[in-house]
Amino acid sequence: MPTKPTPQQFFRRRNRQLLIILLILIGIYWLSMVLVNFQTMSSLAQVPAGLIWLAKNFIPTQRSLSYLGAISFQLWRTLLVSIASTICAGLFSLFFAVLGAKPTAPAPYWRVIVRLGASLVRNIPVVAWSMILLFSFKQSDFTGFLALFFMTLGYLTRAFTETIEDLDPEKLNALRAVGATYLQCVFCGVLPEVATTLMSWLLYMIENNLRDATLVGILTGTGIGFLFNYYFKSFRYDAAGLIVLLIAVLVIALELTSTRIRKAIA
Amino acid sequence: MLKVIDLDKSYNRQKQSLKAVSFTAKPGEVTAIIGPSGAGKTTILRSVNQLIKDDAGQILLDDEDIRQANKSDLRRIRHHIGMIFQNYNLIGPLTALENVLHGRLGAKSTFAGMLGLYSATEKNEAAKLLQDVGLADFALQRCDQLSGGQQQRVGIARALMQHPKMILCDEPIASLDPKSTKLVMDILRELAQSKQLIILINLHQLDIAQTYADHIVGINQGTIVFEGPERALTPEKLQAIYRQPETKAVTADAN
Amino acid sequence: MKTVKQAPISLPPKLSLLTRPRRILRTVLGGLTLITLYALLTLNTAGLKISSAMSSLGNNLNIMFLHPGVGQDTWSLLLRALVTSISLGLLTTILGALFAFFIAMGAARNLAPAWLANTIKAAMAFIRAIPTILWVLIYSVVMGLGASAAVVGLTFHSIAYLVKAYSESIEATPAETIEALKASGVRFWPIVFQAILPSIIPALLSWTFIRFEINFANAVAVGAAAGANDIGYYLFMASGFYFNFHEVGLIVYLLLAVAVVLEIISIQLRGHYLKQN
Repeated sequence: MPTKPTPQQFFRRRNRQLLIILLILIGIYWLSMVLVNFQTMSSLAQVPAGLIWLAKNFIPTQRSLSYLGAISFQLWRTLLVSIASTICAGLFSLFFAVLGAKPTAPAPYWRVIVRLGASLVRNIPVVAWSMILLFSFKQSDFTGFLALFFMTLGYLTRAFTETIEDLDPEKLNALRAVGATYLQCVFCGVLPEVATTLMSWLLYMIENNLRDATLVGILTGTGIGFLFNYYFKSFRYDAAGLIVLLIAVLVIALELTSTRIRKAIA
Repeated sequence: MLKVIDLDKSYNRQKQSLKAVSFTAKPGEVTAIIGPSGAGKTTILRSVNQLIKDDAGQILLDDEDIRQANKSDLRRIRHHIGMIFQNYNLIGPLTALENVLHGRLGAKSTFAGMLGLYSATEKNEAAKLLQDVGLADFALQRCDQLSGGQQQRVGIARALMQHPKMILCDEPIASLDPKSTKLVMDILRELAQSKQLIILINLHQLDIAQTYADHIVGINQGTIVFEGPERALTPEKLQAIYRQPETKAVTADAN
Repeated sequence: MKTVKQAPISLPPKLSLLTRPRRILRTVLGGLTLITLYALLTLNTAGLKISSAMSSLGNNLNIMFLHPGVGQDTWSLLLRALVTSISLGLLTTILGALFAFFIAMGAARNLAPAWLANTIKAAMAFIRAIPTILWVLIYSVVMGLGASAAVVGLTFHSIAYLVKAYSESIEATPAETIEALKASGVRFWPIVFQAILPSIIPALLSWTFIRFEINFANAVAVGAAAGANDIGYYLFMASGFYFNFHEVGLIVYLLLAVAVVLEIISIQLRGHYLKQN
């Protein structure tokens, strides 16, 4: 039987552990720095200069307002694509989640299939999705939609599955005891229980997709990302700044709306 | 009349959890299954409506063997067996009224049940049942906002909505305070008499069983050790029901 | 029933089950569905033929997943690039966590005055609202293409994300604990390190790890734009420049392997975290 450490020993041991963890972290940091070829101090010193440059060049001017029409149109299209991809992916995810969640899976092997599939789709990086789809579906809004759709599908399937698995399976037993069929159990038991949580996830993903749409847009040459890249590459920084500002405003507005909706349906 | 004959069940090869369990429960009576935890009370109750598949035996409800029923027969039989649970198992975000209406699911087509299409008659009946259990004012309230005792009464109303021949009660009062316990048990006993229902109830609390049950089934380690009217329950019989296995006593001493 | 003595109530002629939250939920869902339909119907498909696009997609997926290969690069080059991406993730997470921890002190309502907390939270919300890729692009103009811009851009977003997560964890500490220590004359930093930190370390660790996973994915995503010579750059070149889907497949497999390892670590961490509580 181990003897109990004295308080001094306890604190000494804990301090030593902390020191070791700290040293490991510093080691990791230093190694990463070398591998990436990053100079911490000189780079951090440039941050304020960067912010000043940003403030000088990225502030929209009178001139940039002339781009407002084109920008708002693309922003609107991007918002539409974000919502559409989330809702479509949400529908499929719900179906897969019911098949793959422990309490509702029709057979155990469905759980494995859904889990593996979702994990695969989720872990294929944005760049890969965008480029593969771009190759087949060409430069169109539809390509952006599909790229967002697949990423959302992987993410929401996992989120929905976990939400359903948090449910007490006894509640479904109660419905089975009444003589309810499988579909009745799902529609009268599972869906009402998880509806608000799923809605929260959908709202979050719309917000997230709007942000990701920028990257997808840059890669696939569609939507607001394309426009940003275009202005940015042609040194029209004030217009690019206007886009950044409008995206930020839109994302924050969405965030606030989602919070209100979440409170109202809770 | 419910007749359970020679029911066997084992969850794994080493240990048999039910050994040749036989007993009867009559309409109009409260039948209580008592025994120490792990004796197999829940397994028996859940075998009766086949939420747990047992291994061998017969379960006859009005001379129809539930164990032989195919999928649609089972659904029909389950529709006439109400069940209430220790944790109520209501769908929390739905209103009390909707939870009571769930009692009709077994009688509806899959599609109508899925979409929650209930007739006005059904809705009125559900509201009437809620009124009978004293919850008329809570019909349109979310169930997860009700107290434990109120939720259990919604559970009873859900069971009654099934027009049951029998109600299975799985530790119905284990999570309730004394006042709600009395209320719920009073309702159950009254139902047995007024509607001539079979009430089969798992109980942990011996005093409640002695107060409310007409017929008692005592079980120890998966075997029936007593069956008879409440007044036949002598101290010796009680000792047999709640006897701890000897191996356990030894390990308890070691600790 | 004898237990209940109540005058029979008269039921409303039509029972409405549509409570307010449900009405809002349905309205929002209905609205989103309408928007989706509108978006799908007006989507610019640029004269696309779905059948040929699908067969081309199937063909490419087949090449990717069933016939992966190194393409015009070498194994050592790709593995080195993968290590660079992981390092980018580690670097930005550690740097971000360090800054975020101190900023979060100012953003937690139970430690800092309300005006400071609100200002910091608003600023962080603004930074978060701007996509990571834009931060990286913006810094690549200021600092030149390369790893530095990627690190600074990714760190910016990490800080904003972690400040939110950390400050909410700090705010979850019961107010009485802090009051009690304040009342006995304990100063600010001792309170933080002795009272608040020990109870929230598991939460901080799990948020930081989540952010590491995000940063790794982001590092891959911005690699192409930042020119940091990481795996994202090679992925972009292989898929967008050389159209070599064999190599894309291989890189995706490499990334999946990292994802599996991270998943296992995260499960282990969660298990450890649950044991502690």
